[in-house]
Amino acid sequence: MSMPSLPLFLSQLFNGLATGLLLSLISAGLTIIYGTLGVLNLAHGALFMVGAYAGFMAFQWTGSFVMAMLGGMVGSLVVGLIMERVIVRYYYKRPPEDQILVTFGIGIVITEAVRLFFGGIAKPVPVPSWGEGIVHWGFLFYPTYRIQIMVIVAVVLALLYIVLYRTRIGMIVRAGIEDSLMVNMLGINVYRVFLLVFGIGAMTAGFAGIVNAPILAVTPDMGEAFLVTSFVVIVIGGVGSFPGAIVGGIIAGEIISLTSMFSSAYSHVMLFAIMAILLAVRPQGLFGVEGRE
Amino acid sequence: MSNDNNEDDKKGGIDRRDFLKLSAGVAGGLMLSGGLSKLALAKDYPAIGNYPAGIKGSDVFMGICVPRTGPYSAQGEDEIKGYLLAIDHLNKGTSLARAYSPHSRKGVLGKKIIHGVADNATKPNTAVQEISKFISDNKAMMITGSVSSAVAIAAGKLCDRERTIYLPAITGSNATTGKDCQRYSFRACHYAYTAAKALAPVIKKAIGPGKKVAYLTPDYTYGHSVYNSMKEFTEAQGWKTVNNQLPPLGTSDFSTYLLNIANSGADVLVNICFGRDAVISTKQAKQFGLLDKMTLVMPYMAPFFADEVGADLLQGVYGTTEFWWTLANQNKMAKEFVDDFQKRNGRKPGWSAHIAFLQTMLWAREVEDAHTFHPPTVVKQYEKGNTIETDIGPVHWRAGDHQLVRPVYVIRGKKPSAMHSKDDFYDIVEAVPGKDVMPPLKEFSCKLGPYT
Amino acid sequence: MILHKLARYSGGRPWVAELITLVVLLLCPVVLPWFGITSDMACRILIWGLFGLGFDILFGYTGLLSFGQAAFFGVGGFVSAYLLTQAGFSSVFLALILGMVAAMLAGIVVGFFTLRRSGIYFAMITLAFAEMFHFLELSPLSQWTGGENGLTGVPMPQIGLGSWTFQIQSGWSLYGYIAMYFFIGYIIAHRMVLSPFGQVLTALRDNSPRALATGHSVRKYKLAAFVIAAGYGGIAGGLLGVLQSYMPPDAVAFHTSGQLVMQSIIGGAGTLFGPLVGAAVWLGLQNYLQEFPVIASAWMLILGLVFVVLITAFRQGILGALKQLVMHQRPQTEPDGAELSAEVARRHIIDGVPDEHLREDEVPDHIFTRDVPDRDSLLIVPKNAEPGTAALECRNLSKHYGGVVANQGISMSIPDGQLRGIIGPNGAGKSTFFKMLAGEVVPTEGEVFLHGANITGLGVTAVSQLGMSKSYQINQLFTKLTVAQNLAIPVLARLRGEFRPDMLKSMYKVPGLHGQIEATLDMVNLAERADIPVTELAYGEKRRLEIGLALANAPNVLLLDEPLAGMSPKERSDTVKLLKQIRAGRTLVVVEHDMDAMFELAEYISVLQEGRLLAEGTPEQIKNDQRVQDAYLGGMHEL
Repeated sequence: MSMPSLPLFLSQLFNGLATGLLLSLISAGLTIIYGTLGVLNLAHGALFMVGAYAGFMAFQWTGSFVMAMLGGMVGSLVVGLIMERVIVRYYYKRPPEDQILVTFGIGIVITEAVRLFFGGIAKPVPVPSWGEGIVHWGFLFYPTYRIQIMVIVAVVLALLYIVLYRTRIGMIVRAGIEDSLMVNMLGINVYRVFLLVFGIGAMTAGFAGIVNAPILAVTPDMGEAFLVTSFVVIVIGGVGSFPGAIVGGIIAGEIISLTSMFSSAYSHVMLFAIMAILLAVRPQGLFGVEGRE
Repeated sequence: MSNDNNEDDKKGGIDRRDFLKLSAGVAGGLMLSGGLSKLALAKDYPAIGNYPAGIKGSDVFMGICVPRTGPYSAQGEDEIKGYLLAIDHLNKGTSLARAYSPHSRKGVLGKKIIHGVADNATKPNTAVQEISKFISDNKAMMITGSVSSAVAIAAGKLCDRERTIYLPAITGSNATTGKDCQRYSFRACHYAYTAAKALAPVIKKAIGPGKKVAYLTPDYTYGHSVYNSMKEFTEAQGWKTVNNQLPPLGTSDFSTYLLNIANSGADVLVNICFGRDAVISTKQAKQFGLLDKMTLVMPYMAPFFADEVGADLLQGVYGTTEFWWTLANQNKMAKEFVDDFQKRNGRKPGWSAHIAFLQTMLWAREVEDAHTFHPPTVVKQYEKGNTIETDIGPVHWRAGDHQLVRPVYVIRGKKPSAMHSKDDFYDIVEAVPGKDVMPPLKEFSCKLGPYT
Repeated sequence: MILHKLARYSGGRPWVAELITLVVLLLCPVVLPWFGITSDMACRILIWGLFGLGFDILFGYTGLLSFGQAAFFGVGGFVSAYLLTQAGFSSVFLALILGMVAAMLAGIVVGFFTLRRSGIYFAMITLAFAEMFHFLELSPLSQWTGGENGLTGVPMPQIGLGSWTFQIQSGWSLYGYIAMYFFIGYIIAHRMVLSPFGQVLTALRDNSPRALATGHSVRKYKLAAFVIAAGYGGIAGGLLGVLQSYMPPDAVAFHTSGQLVMQSIIGGAGTLFGPLVGAAVWLGLQNYLQEFPVIASAWMLILGLVFVVLITAFRQGILGALKQLVMHQRPQTEPDGAELSAEVARRHIIDGVPDEHLREDEVPDHIFTRDVPDRDSLLIVPKNAEPGTAALECRNLSKHYGGVVANQGISMSIPDGQLRGIIGPNGAGKSTFFKMLAGEVVPTEGEVFLHGANITGLGVTAVSQLGMSKSYQINQLFTKLTVAQNLAIPVLARLRGEFRPDMLKSMYKVPGLHGQIEATLDMVNLAERADIPVTELAYGEKRRLEIGLALANAPNVLLLDEPLAGMSPKERSDTVKLLKQIRAGRTLVVVEHDMDAMFELAEYISVLQEGRLLAEGTPEQIKNDQRVQDAYLGGMHEL
């Protein structure tokens, strides 16, 4: 393959950032739950899908994309809360392998239940009217909607960071992980805090699902591919690290984008290869803490 | 190559042995004495596959193996509806059934068709597993169903080993009746080569000469086979290939590939993705403004593609299909099929339902004509290549690779304002006759296996 | 007696189970058709079962949950299928073996990367690697793998002996062929889990940091288990191709790994047969549910629900639950069984309630005065140690965590045979200091010498192999093993070195193993509890076992981190007696809060404060040292 032109290179660089931020958002939900509750949620892809379907239904009823975004968040929040209350909370004290297994099972149940209810045909969610069209900045042609969600996602990530790391709630959450007995003694119901965190993580997944819905096909298994990619992202960034998820997402986006200029078939293989190299050099990931498992 | 592998020799002649059998069969049919004819038939042929174990009773089993979970479950469910419709018509011996198979009374050779449905989840491995069960447990005499070539090829291979007729439904790869063709397998739908050959002249006429083409090719065998065929036919007519992007199967974000295409200066975008990938990539191509700059061509359009992307995106898109429901306006049999399907299921059939229906009817026809379920004899009956009247006009089987020679429909997406109903997505631009698009037999190196 | 107990707990005489397996496998073709189970189904269950034998060694025995086994299933399957269909191989057997070897090589490569992390990291990375293999199979390697179409036309095997050959056909004769592989695979797996190698794997599962500290190379054992699992996957993949005369591309897909995991859980992990039983349930249910049109397309949903319920309520799976049922109903056959279980029950009731009268009964006084047999076996003699060299010495030892100074410039020399006490108020840096001595933490600055040899940065495993071991403040036991099995782990490290792949060797045949275990049991007074799972021990007993684990390693330098922590006064005085006893011929370094015990025991005491060495001297000197008194009073005030 010949060398790509400069405009193409810059376009792909920008695209890597845009797609990377979406990966960051999905991975952030996963890493918030893991980083605070110590649970690796394999049903995260399913919650992403639930968000898209709930948003689709809200869009059908109201015709408003803002309502769809709200609906997507509420839908995945509700499913996430039920999941936490009914099953996951009994797993906080069980070994990590059990947590992985049960969330894996829950993911299958949610996916298949949605398939049974909605069928396998993709549901159309159009780009909102305010997001139609293409932005033309110099060399770059880019869909308006994607630029808008880049901004929205960046804002949401910043909000999440503030809530989890700069507020009292966030401190309680993190203290709860270290010593739930102590937090309980302080008169705070630590399990309610856990529920809250799980809800936030689920809502993040759902939000990612609905903002992606106009770009992707809304199908019951739409979350599966993202789950694997978001694993790679948080392995690169460092499991449980919020900044790691963001940087990891952007790196993953750039790897896929830039590799595709030379050989599109290898762009995903390259992502895995870079993850492997990183594991060899820095097993804990870019932002991971040494020794944390 | 022997003479009977030549498509021009398809009419053949009824040899003495066939004639004797024919007489026996006709006699049996005339006497309407099931017992006697069964006895006679069973004695006529040596045991092979599930013959005669599968026809001992008063019914005959047909195994339907389609995806009911996974990405192609919608097409799979549609196929099931097509099969059920065909089985119902055949078992009742309706006029529609007799239109396909004039000898049919009730059932096939007087036996009621019973069926089983299994979920292959679009996984070849699961398909093979389920089909093995149909063959060994249910003594199936015919296996059918597929939405992907991988399943069709795997199932074809297994059924060939088990000497059981296998009829794939959707399979677009050249390999199905090429490198991986099977003695006991028959494909009725169009495929990469015929689709490309039918499409190329039509789009040249519509879009103009000397265009630059970019391809979005899913990176697996099916994708490459459509790409090669499209490239061959479009370059032959003076178009130039400027870019080919190879996203992996199951890609969810095509932005990076689409940017490369956007920067390639192409006039035409050929999107070879199928199923969910096709839906996502087309939506994203629209968002990147590619569809405003380039004409979109979908050489092998999946059933329900229109429902999934919506009419807005379809406008002016070229593609091919196996069947489109507005054929009901041109053909009486098609009308009966579409109307009855609509009555039962409350919607129009996709081409998945149609190919399922068609394959079942064609099978009934060949079995009736062979007067036996004896698998090698039925295969030879198919290979005679007699012309059969169907809802897509007269068709015949090509003996050399077991491909149905049939028309390919080139369609174009309608303007939303021009749609007469919510399902009225396409105009049929041209029905390209099968004989014009078939590849030479040696093209895809099909070598059929032995009969026994 | 212990020999017997070790063997019984780990499955009895291996050939009994193997004989039963053989009989059942032979009966299947006769019995299964009655239940409407076809040969095809039986073959599939066996293939999943064979795949699962390896996975069970990896997950059930070693505790590594991999979501990427499909990669090896695929490598083995495609290599064998390629050899048979494209490369013109005629021997199915040879192709299967080469497929297995290829899968094991892939296992080494993948294991190299994935085993750098454990737990959830490991699960995620194995999944990602398997996805990469799937990508590679579908596209870059499609020239060899057939891409999404897979490879068709895998031939049926032929069995030949000289001029006599037998052509395997599909149906029950193919079943026989596959059953043969399963049976051989089972014998190997079964022997493996009963071997010393297998015993170490269970230790990794239960407590891998402790296994590391007792002197086993955790990395190497994990890699070995990973490669074994890959090998099983490889041969199972190859057999799948033979069964179907077709190697499907989706064998490499994520759902294959997922199905294997789910089947293993349903059947019961850590039982070897669990995955096979799980596969039977899975395939049976899939079959059965599809016969009902209403729920046909919901079979996966139902299986998913079953799985979630199982993992929540019956984590041990079907076989695990059966095993438990049998265990509970079987009356104790040991002569002292009834008495013992009553004792265990009583302890359970009083668990956590300090009742001194009850506890006093536990440790009869005479035990500690009894002669301990064969004490010399509990020691190793340091090599090349010049007379007069300090047993343990550190020079200018410092540890900084970022800007936080945990230890600063500690130099200390402990002569051979001394019992050295290390004391200091909370937060004095005693734990970090101890970890640096034991090789668990790499010092920021400074060096550690064991019998004159520099051991700085060697790591805890190597240090343990050199004859220094440590017992922990918080019990670090192998929780699912019995007392005797616990003690076997450090003894195996001593006898076999940091790694030995003696996978097919019997535990009976490790020379010196049982003598050493018995000697340690006697020493820590747990001889009568040898066969009891550690979860059923009382706290004091667990503490003694904790010391026993360090002792069984036959160290000549023993580091004890608060051996008296959490004990009742009676237990304390017993343990003090124990410490006095085990110090003979050893160098002991003890960190302890209990000042009275320390002054009674130690010959020489070092005092740490705020990460630095504050004072050193005899107990008498330390008692009278003003600085020490101030430090401790300060410490008291803090509390």
